[in-house]
Amino acid sequence: MNILEIRNLTKKFGDFVAVDNMSLSVREGEIFGFLGANGAGKSTTISMIATLLRSTKGDINLLGKSITSHGKFAKTNIGIVPQDIAIYENMTAYENVRFFAGLYGLRGALLQERTEEALEFVGLGDKHKSYPKNFSGGMKRRLNIACAIAHRPKLIIMDEPTVGIDPHSRNYILNSVKKLNEMGCTIIYTSHYMEEVEEICTRIAIVDHGKIIAEGTKEQLKAIITDTKDIWIGIKANESLSIEHLKQIPGVIAVRLEENTVKINSKGEINNLNKIVQQLIKDQIEIRSVEEQAPNLETVFLTLTGRNLRD
Amino acid sequence: MLKDMNWLIRKTLNNTFRSKKSWLVYIGLPIVGVLISMLLYGNTNGGVLRVGIVNMDGDQAITQDAIRFVEGLSKVEITLTDEKTLNNDIAASKLDSGLLFEQGFAASLREGKPEHLNLVSVKGAQVTVYVKSLLQSYIGNVAAIGQTAQGDQAAFDALYSEYRQHNFKLTAESVKDTSNMKAMTYQAIGFLITFMMFSSVNLTELILKEKENRTFLRLLSSPVSARTYVLSNVIVNILILLIQIVLTLFMMKTVFKIDSGIPYGQMIPILLLFALAAIGLSLLIVAFAKSSSGAGALQNLIITPTCLLSGCYFPAEIMPDSIRKISNFLPQHWLLDSVDKLQSGTAFGNLSLNFAILFAFAAAFALVAIYRFGRNNDTRLFV
Repeated sequence: MNILEIRNLTKKFGDFVAVDNMSLSVREGEIFGFLGANGAGKSTTISMIATLLRSTKGDINLLGKSITSHGKFAKTNIGIVPQDIAIYENMTAYENVRFFAGLYGLRGALLQERTEEALEFVGLGDKHKSYPKNFSGGMKRRLNIACAIAHRPKLIIMDEPTVGIDPHSRNYILNSVKKLNEMGCTIIYTSHYMEEVEEICTRIAIVDHGKIIAEGTKEQLKAIITDTKDIWIGIKANESLSIEHLKQIPGVIAVRLEENTVKINSKGEINNLNKIVQQLIKDQIEIRSVEEQAPNLETVFLTLTGRNLRD
Repeated sequence: MLKDMNWLIRKTLNNTFRSKKSWLVYIGLPIVGVLISMLLYGNTNGGVLRVGIVNMDGDQAITQDAIRFVEGLSKVEITLTDEKTLNNDIAASKLDSGLLFEQGFAASLREGKPEHLNLVSVKGAQVTVYVKSLLQSYIGNVAAIGQTAQGDQAAFDALYSEYRQHNFKLTAESVKDTSNMKAMTYQAIGFLITFMMFSSVNLTELILKEKENRTFLRLLSSPVSARTYVLSNVIVNILILLIQIVLTLFMMKTVFKIDSGIPYGQMIPILLLFALAAIGLSLLIVAFAKSSSGAGALQNLIITPTCLLSGCYFPAEIMPDSIRKISNFLPQHWLLDSVDKLQSGTAFGNLSLNFAILFAFAAAFALVAIYRFGRNNDTRLFV
C-alpha cells in the first residue's frame, strides 16, 4: 500500500518552476531516498508534503487522504526532521521534546512516556536535564530527531539529518533510521551523502530541475548505466593535472578530482585506459594506482544529471 | 484550538520568566517608572516654595513693599539675587520660581497700570499659582490706588500711606493639594506607556526569533496553525501588559501613596485599551521587520520619539503648539488626554471619543499587520 502519492505536483514562484509536474509514490514501510543537488526541488516538495507550502497544481495524498482537505490529519501523521536544527536552546532536552510532542495533543502520563522514549531512542536519555547549548553538533541533531518522532508519526521526513556531524553520531543516526523503519515507520530520507542513501534506502528517486528523472531500487538505478564504467586513478600530486585533456579522450563522459584520486566515468564499450594513462604521464602526473569500479549511485547521479550531488 | 493555544501560552510564559532579565524588564521597570515620578515631583509636595527675587527697580518704596509682601507669605522663602544667577538657580532646581521687578514697576503702579513684573519657573503652574494669585491681589490693590489718584502723586502717597497702615488681611484655609499628585500620576502613566510599548515589541519579536532559529517551521509542521500561534503570542502580550498595569497602579496607590484620583475600574480598562493599540503596533513592527534586530531598530525609531512627542516624559503643555498638534495622531496622546480629563472631573462615559480613537488605532495597526503577515508568510525562508 502506498503511504504517500504525489500526482502531477507543480510549484511556481513567479516564473520560476521549482517543482515541475512531479509524480511519485512512497510505499508503506520503506526508506525512500530523495536525491537531488541544491535547488533541484527537494525542499520545496518536502514543504508541500508537510503542508507548509501550497502547490500551484497537483495532488498529494497521505494514507489515501488529500492533504489539502485533511491538513490536520496529514500533520498528525508526519514527523519532520528539518535540515537546520530547530530546537530551543533555553529549554532542556526533555522540555524541548515534551513541548513539540504536546503540539500533537499528547498530555499527561502518555506525553511523559513518549518524551522519555524518544530521548532514549536517540541516546539522550541520560541528558534529559541538559540544555542544548552544551550539546555537540551530533547531540543536537539527535535531539532534532527526537522532537520529530515523539508523537509516533507514520511518515518521517528527514532532510539532511547528518550534515556536519562526527562519524559516531552519523552512525548512531543511520542506525536509528533503520530501527525506526523496523518499528513500522516509513521514511523519506534526503542526503548529500550518497553512501548513506545507498546503505539505508530501499528505493530512491533522483530529482533534477523539479522533475523525477529516475526512480527505483539501487539495483534498478545502477542497471540504467551498465553502458558506462568508472575508472579511479590514484595520483601523487594534482598540481599539473589537466581535466580538459582527459575529457578530450574518446569515450570519456565525465572527470572529477577528489583529493588525490581522479574519478573518470567512461563509455563501457570503448577501451581507453591506455590513452588515459598515457595522457597522465604526458602531463607529468605520477600514478599510484588504477582501479575499475563497479557502478554506484554517485555514478548514476552524475550520468543522469551531468553534475555532482554536492554541486 | 484552545488546547493548543493554552500549550503555547504556557511555554512562552515559562520561557520568558525563566530569565531574570525578563523579570527586570517586564515587572521591575514599571515600578522604577513610579519611583522616578516620585523623585521628580515629590520634592514639591508640601515643602517651602523657594522664590528668587531680582530687583531692577532700585529703592522704590512700592517695590520694596511688594518684595516684603512676598517674603511675608506663608511657606515662601525668598532669595535676593541677580538675573543671571536666578536663571542658573532655577535651571539647577535650587529655586522653584523667580520674580523679576523690572525698572519702572513702581511707576507703573502709580499710574494704575501694573507692568514690568515677570514670574519665571520651569515647574509649571503648580509652583507659580500660589505666589502669582496672592501677588496679583496685592498689586491690584496698589494699582487701584494709582487709578484713583489719577496721576496726582501727593494723593497717591496719602492713599498708599493709609493703605500701608492697615494690615493686609489674608485668611488661609487648608485644602488638599492635588496638583502634585496629578503631576506624579501623569508622569508615572507616561513611563508606564513607554515600558508597555517596549515590552509588547519584545514579546511580539519572539515570532521573528522563532523564525530565525527555525522552530517556527516545526510549529507550523505540527497541527498548530500560524493563526493560533500568533494569537497565543497576543494573549501572552495582553497578560504581561495587564500585570504591568495592575502592578503599577497598585504600587502607586498602596505603596507610594500616589492617589491618581481615578478609580481602578476606570483606569485599568482605559490602560488595557491602550495596551491593545501597543500590541497592534508591535505586530505591525514585526510584520515589516525582516529580522529581530531590524524589529529592535524600528522599535527605537518609533517608540521613543512618539512617546516624547505625546508627553510621556514631560508635560505636553510645555511643547510648542505645532508639536502638540502632531501628538493628536499618536495613541499615547489619547491615553494621557483621557487620564488628564478623568483627573479634571470629566465623567468616564463622556470619554467615548478617546476610547473610539484608541480602539481605532489598535484595529488599524492589527489589520495592516495581518495583511502584511499574509503577504510575506513564505515558508521558503524557513525550510
